Amino acid sequence: MGLLTTVDYQNIFTRVQVRGPDDLGIPIAKGIYERGTKTSHNYWFGKLGDAQVGPVYLGVYGLLSIACGIIAFEIIGLNMWASVNWDPVQFVRQLFWLGLEPPLAKHGLNPFIPLNEGGWFLMTGFFFTASVLFWWARTYTRARALGMGTHVPWAFAAAIWLMLVLGFIRPIAMGCWCEAVPYGIFPHLDWVQAFSIRYGNLHYNPFHAFSIVFLYGSVLLFAMHAGTILAVTRYGGEREIEQIVDRGTASERAALFWRWTMGFNASMESIHRWAWWFAVLTPITGGIGILLTGTVVDNWFLWAQHYGFAPSYPAVNPPVVDPSLLPGAR
Amino acid sequence: MAMLSFERKYRVRGGTLLGGDLFDFWVGPFYVGMFGVTAAFFSILGTVLIFYSASMQGTFNPWTISIAPPDLKYGLGLAPLAEGGLWQIITICAIGAFVSWMLREVEICRKLGMGYHVPFAFGVAIFAYVTLVVIRPVLLGAWGHGFPYGIFSHLDWVSNVGYQYLNFMYNPAHMIAVTFFFTTTLALSLHGGLVLSAVNPKKGEAVKTPEHENAYFRDFIGYSVGTIGIHRLGLFLALSAGFWSAVCIVISGPFWTQGWPRWWSWWLDLPIWS
Amino acid sequence: MSMHTILSKRSGLVAGLAVGFGLLLAGCQQNPPEATQQNGYRGVALEQVQSPKRLAALAEVNQASEVIPPGDRTGPRAAQAYQNVKVLGDLSETEFTRIMVAMTSWVAPGGVSGSDEGQGCSYCHNLNNMADESKYQYKTARRMLQMTREINSNWTNHVGATGVTCYTCHRGNPIPTQTWFTGAGHPKNLADAGGWIGANNGQNLAGKFVGRASLPADPFTPLIQFAETIRVTGQTALPTGKHEQIAVAERTNALMNHMSESLGVNCTFCHNSRAFGEWKDAPPQRVNAYHGIRMLRDVNANYLAPLNTTYPATKLGPEGDAAKAFCATCHQGVQKPLNGAPMLSDYPELGKPRP
Repeated sequence: MGLLTTVDYQNIFTRVQVRGPDDLGIPIAKGIYERGTKTSHNYWFGKLGDAQVGPVYLGVYGLLSIACGIIAFEIIGLNMWASVNWDPVQFVRQLFWLGLEPPLAKHGLNPFIPLNEGGWFLMTGFFFTASVLFWWARTYTRARALGMGTHVPWAFAAAIWLMLVLGFIRPIAMGCWCEAVPYGIFPHLDWVQAFSIRYGNLHYNPFHAFSIVFLYGSVLLFAMHAGTILAVTRYGGEREIEQIVDRGTASERAALFWRWTMGFNASMESIHRWAWWFAVLTPITGGIGILLTGTVVDNWFLWAQHYGFAPSYPAVNPPVVDPSLLPGAR
Repeated sequence: MAMLSFERKYRVRGGTLLGGDLFDFWVGPFYVGMFGVTAAFFSILGTVLIFYSASMQGTFNPWTISIAPPDLKYGLGLAPLAEGGLWQIITICAIGAFVSWMLREVEICRKLGMGYHVPFAFGVAIFAYVTLVVIRPVLLGAWGHGFPYGIFSHLDWVSNVGYQYLNFMYNPAHMIAVTFFFTTTLALSLHGGLVLSAVNPKKGEAVKTPEHENAYFRDFIGYSVGTIGIHRLGLFLALSAGFWSAVCIVISGPFWTQGWPRWWSWWLDLPIWS
Repeated sequence: MSMHTILSKRSGLVAGLAVGFGLLLAGCQQNPPEATQQNGYRGVALEQVQSPKRLAALAEVNQASEVIPPGDRTGPRAAQAYQNVKVLGDLSETEFTRIMVAMTSWVAPGGVSGSDEGQGCSYCHNLNNMADESKYQYKTARRMLQMTREINSNWTNHVGATGVTCYTCHRGNPIPTQTWFTGAGHPKNLADAGGWIGANNGQNLAGKFVGRASLPADPFTPLIQFAETIRVTGQTALPTGKHEQIAVAERTNALMNHMSESLGVNCTFCHNSRAFGEWKDAPPQRVNAYHGIRMLRDVNANYLAPLNTTYPATKLGPEGDAAKAFCATCHQGVQKPLNGAPMLSDYPELGKPRP
C-alpha cells in the first residue's frame, strides 16, 4: 500500500495530458457572427482540467457588453485617478482607497445632475448595468443556440437582482441615488459597515441570515458534491450526464456514501438542483434583505427585540443612562 | 429495511479503521462502525448538555439560547459548569462528534472503494471550527475567546470581534476568504445550471452531451474547464473559503491587535512612493 | 506493508504535527498571549485584546513630567505682586512662579529650532517687560490657562480628579504634536482635480486621522466644530421619515475610528456593537467618551478656534483656521493621558480659581 500510492488515486490533478485534435464545438446555426476558430493550449489549465482554450463566440451581445463594460470601467478608473490629482504614483499607492461616490443627497432621484456631483456615478451605473444585461442576453442566446436549457441565465438573473436592488431599486424606493453603493475596494467596504451601523446591525436582518446560510450552504454543497464526484472518478463519476440518464456504479457508490453517512442521498441529477437553488437563493434572499432595509425596517436590532429573537445577557457593568437625557446635559 | 434496489451488493464486510467487525453493521440506512458509536455518544451527550444549559439559562427559545464560554479570568483552566464549564464540555463533545463523523466517512469510503475527498474536505471544516474554539483561544490565553453556541448570540460575538479591529473587512485574509465564498457560489450556480441545462434541454430537444457543455462555456467565456476540472476547481474554491476563514480569525488578536485599516500602513508607507 | 509499519508511520505523523505546532507556538511567544481585558458579559467578545509589547512602548512615551515641589501658598497674591496678571492672580507669588517655571518646561523648554521665536521665558515674554502683551504667544498662553482652568473645573465628568496641565497636550512642544485643521488629511487641491471630483464626501483616500480607512478624512469639522449629529442609527424599529444618509453614518464611523485609535482601544471599549446606539448594554466608559466629545466642542469653539486672529498666518491651516484639539491631542494612544498621572493634585493651581 503505502502513502504515495494512496495519493495517486485521489485524482486531484491530471498526471498525463493527452492532446488530441482540437474540439471546435457543436455546430451552431449560421448568423451574422460566427464562432471563432482560434484555439490554444495551456499546460497548467491542463493540470486542473481541459488544456484547450477557445474558440470563443463574440456576437452582438458580447461586443455590446464588453464595450459598455469598458466604458464603465474607464469612468471609474479616471475618476479615481482624478481624485489623486492625476498623480500616477498616488494612483497606484492609494488604489484600494480610491472610489467613485454616488450622487449628493440634494439631487434626490434627478438623473441629470452635474458630472462631478454624481453624474459620473450615474453614467457608470447605466453602462455597467447595460453591460451586465447584454451579458445576460449572451448567456441566454448561447444556451438556446445549442438547444440547451436556460438554467445558467436564470441563475445569473438572480445575481443581477441583487445588483439592481443595491444600485437601482432600493435607491428609487428611498427616493435618493445617494443610497447606492460607491465603486471602489475599501469605499464599498466602508459603505457596508456604515450601512449596518445605520440600520441597527444587519446580523439581525433575517434575510441577511438566510443569505449567509445559503452562501455557506453553497460552499458546503460544492465541497460535498465535488468531493464525492472526485472520489468516484475512478468509476467514471465525472461523466455526470451519462450517469444521470444511465446510472452506473459511480452514481451508486456516490449515493450510498451519503445514504450511509447521513441517511439521505441526492441523485446525480438532483444534487445539481440542490446546488442551483442554494446558489441562486443566496443573492435572492440577500436582495430582499437589502431592499427591506431603510424602506420597511429602520433598526434591525430593535426589530429583533420586538419579535423576541435578540438574546439578552446578564448585566455585569453598572447601569448607564444616556447623558443627553440628564438635566443640564450639553 | 430501507435499502435501495442496488444497495445489497455494496453492503460488504471490512474497511473499518478501528474495532474490526464489532460495529460493522447498518441501522436503517446508517452505517454504524466504531466511529458511529463514538459520534452518537458525543452528539447525544452534547445535545443533552445544550438543553441542560438552556434550562439553567431559563429559555428554550431556539433563537435566544446561548451557551457562553467562561470568563477570561479562568484562562486556559476549567470553569464551573454554570459559568462556562458546560461550554467547555460541549466543545469537547462537538470536536469528538465531528472527528468521529469524519473517520466514519473514511470507513465508508473504504467500503465503497472511493477516494477520501469528502472526509478530507470535512477535515478542513473541522479545522476552521477548531481554529475558532481551540487554537485562537489557546494563543490568546483563555477559553473565553471562543464563540458562544447560540443562533443570534454567536452573531453578537462576530459583531464584537469584528469591531475590535474597527473594520474587519479590511483584514486581507478576510477579503480573500469572502472572495472564495462568493466565487464558490458563483461556480456552483454555473456548474449546477450547466448540468441541468444539458439534461433538461429546450422542449422537444434530445438530452445534450458534455460536448455541448464544453461548447456552451467556450462560446460563453472562451474556456471550458471540463467535467473533472469543474469538480477539482469547486473543491479547491470551497476548501480555500474555509481555510482562509480560519486564517483571517486566527491572525486577529494573536498576531494583530490594532484596527485592520491600520494594518495597510505597511503598503502606504513603502519607501518606493517618495 | 504490515499494519505495524502503517501505525508507526501514522504516529510519526502525529508526533511531527505536534512538534510543528509546538514550534509555531514557541516562535510566537513574542506576541501571543496578548494582554486581554473583559468588559462585558462572557462569551460575546466584549473585550480588549492588546499587544503587551505595544502597551509597554506606549507607556514609555507617555510619561508625566517631573513634578516641581509645591510652593508656599501664603503671602501676597500674584495679582498684587505682578502687573497684568489676569488668570492666575489668585495664586501666591511662589505658586505663580512655580507655574511659570513649569509652563516653560512643558511648552517651550528649548524653543523652536530654526526660528527666532525665542526659548524658555522669552518664548512668550518680552524679557525687558514681562507684562508686555505684544507677543502672540503671550496672548495665547493666557487663553490656554483659562482653557485649562475651564477643563479642570467644569469638565470633571471627562477629566475627573486627574485633570490636565499644559503638559497633557504639549509634551515639551510649543505646538502640540497632535492637532487638526479643517480638511485634515484631504488636501483641497485633490478635492476638485480639474472638475472631475466634487462629490467624494471628503473621503476615499487613506485618512491620516481616521485609522487610515478610506472614510471621510475630516469628520472633526462637521461633528466637533459644527456639533452636527453623531447619532446615525435608527431610533425606532420601523422608519419614521427622519432619515440619515449612509454617507453621514460613514462620517460618524470616521470620528469613532479616530477616538478608538487615539485611546488605543477598540469599539467594544464603549459599545456593545450589536446595538451601537443602546445605552443599556453599553460599558460605562461610553459616558466618559460622551462628555469628552462635548468638552472638545467647548474648547475648540470657545478657546482654540478663535485664536486664528491671534496667530501669525504661518501657524494657520490651509483654510486659514487655527489648530484645534481632538482626542489624540491629549490621549496620544493611551486610554488615560500620560497613563493617568495625577495632574491636578500635583498642580492644584491650575484648578478652579480660588476665591
